[in-house]
Amino acid sequence: MPARQTDDFGHQDRCAIVGIGSTEFSRNSERSVLTLATEASAAALADAGLSPKDVDGIVRCDHDHVTHNDLVCSLGIANLTYQGQVGPGGVGPCAMVGQAVAAILSGQATTVLLYRSLNGRSEVRFGSGTASARDAAVTVGGQGTYDEFFLPFGLMTAGQTFSIMAQRHMIEYGTTCEQLGSIAIACREQANANPAAQMHSKPLDMQTYLASRMISTPLRLYDYCLETDGACAVVVTSTDRASDTRKSPVLIRAVAQGCPPDMRGGMMFPIVMRDSITDLPAYSVASTLYARAGLGPDEIDVAQLYDCFSISILLQLEAYGFCEKGEGGPFAESGAIHRGGALPINTGGGHLSEGYIHGMNHVVEGVRQMRGDSSGQVPHAETCLVTGGPLPTGSAVILRKS
Amino acid sequence: MNFDRILPIMNDRDTAGFFEACKNKTLVYRACQSCNATLNPPRAHCGNCGSWDTAWREASGRGRLYSWTTVCHQVHPAYGVPYTVVIVELEDAPEVRLVGQLNGSPDLCAGMEMQVWFETLEDGTVLPQWEPVEKIQQGKES
Repeated sequence: MPARQTDDFGHQDRCAIVGIGSTEFSRNSERSVLTLATEASAAALADAGLSPKDVDGIVRCDHDHVTHNDLVCSLGIANLTYQGQVGPGGVGPCAMVGQAVAAILSGQATTVLLYRSLNGRSEVRFGSGTASARDAAVTVGGQGTYDEFFLPFGLMTAGQTFSIMAQRHMIEYGTTCEQLGSIAIACREQANANPAAQMHSKPLDMQTYLASRMISTPLRLYDYCLETDGACAVVVTSTDRASDTRKSPVLIRAVAQGCPPDMRGGMMFPIVMRDSITDLPAYSVASTLYARAGLGPDEIDVAQLYDCFSISILLQLEAYGFCEKGEGGPFAESGAIHRGGALPINTGGGHLSEGYIHGMNHVVEGVRQMRGDSSGQVPHAETCLVTGGPLPTGSAVILRKS
Repeated sequence: MNFDRILPIMNDRDTAGFFEACKNKTLVYRACQSCNATLNPPRAHCGNCGSWDTAWREASGRGRLYSWTTVCHQVHPAYGVPYTVVIVELEDAPEVRLVGQLNGSPDLCAGMEMQVWFETLEDGTVLPQWEPVEKIQQGKES
């Protein structure tokens, strides 16, 4: 089905991000996810020059353990008129921006708080397998999860799933480990300039990358994102209301979500049954997003690409039109995505090297870029693409300097 | 200490037929009787033509290797590494892919012919597994 080419609800530049907040990123926060979410949200509101009393909408991610109710109570929000939820998982953050825009433009809220909070290292480690595998439940699957077709055969993590995609990309296009390594190194270079990044002061070169231990062929340790304790939050309001906030508002040029043409149900694993596992739902996201934005890939100055794994970036470089299908490897290796390149990516270090806040730190870094105060600032950048998780559906936002 | 393998649910209303057939050493896939679209993973309704007339079809048990990964970092006590997860497309319906598990890290190549075999677990559950019809060479791992 062709992507919708219209911006039916006329949202272009009509809402803005006016506040961002983050906790520190660590291996052990030593506090609850509710405390982390509260800290990040309070920081985002302070950044916007607002207080919890101004918030009348919250959109959360379906994977978050912090509920609307918990955050209302913890922050002291007095008059919530809109609560929404978006997912799945890493697809959430950009889709949450979209839902905030929809709530504001439909009059259901004026000031919407988005957050993602997780103790991804000290409490719930995604890399240890799905909940059913971790619990060593004897029997898995059913109820539309389709886990029964995957877990009993030893396919039980996102990393293994993306490894199968990377292997297929190598089969079809001759993509190399060094090309994946260049992506990991590009993110690490950005992290080394970002004092808040978990991998700050930890340089990575190709020799070290290639010598790192294999996790699931062909992906190595440094192809994997970090495991992080932390939270990020952003505040969205209408561009009209944003005119008197503390800092320059960052315009939400356009938002989009998208599905693959042959959805296979379940959550993550059934994607290996799709017609082409090297084609992401991001192709339909990109088509809709660029049409709604009235912009194309040539007009994107900097990108924050969701990077659960290095291969995720490579596939998105193709899907969002920065290079041809199959050319993601050579494009990454060309230096284009590195600091000073034609399309710098993940300028805070991304999930591979800054921290893993499940896509929300990418939104925060996109805002920093458009404000001009990123540690990896791209000179004269006026547009930033931010993408959500590449599977099983997709989502993305284009931010614009006001 | 022995750890139990992960078992598939046997009473899901949409998928139980697949594992029931395995007990009879038969490999099946779901398809629409009206428009012939395959429905994998299995479901009762055909989203292609809107028909409810869907059924299990028997597959030959031959397939081709689409992709794979050799798992080197262990995440479950009953699944010692290395092992290799293979993604196989059916000869009868290449758009239907199934997953299998090989021991070690065998030499594999895309498109190689694969044959199903049926692994019976201690509790009587039967899993369809896949192996290369011809080994490329004697593997580096046994």
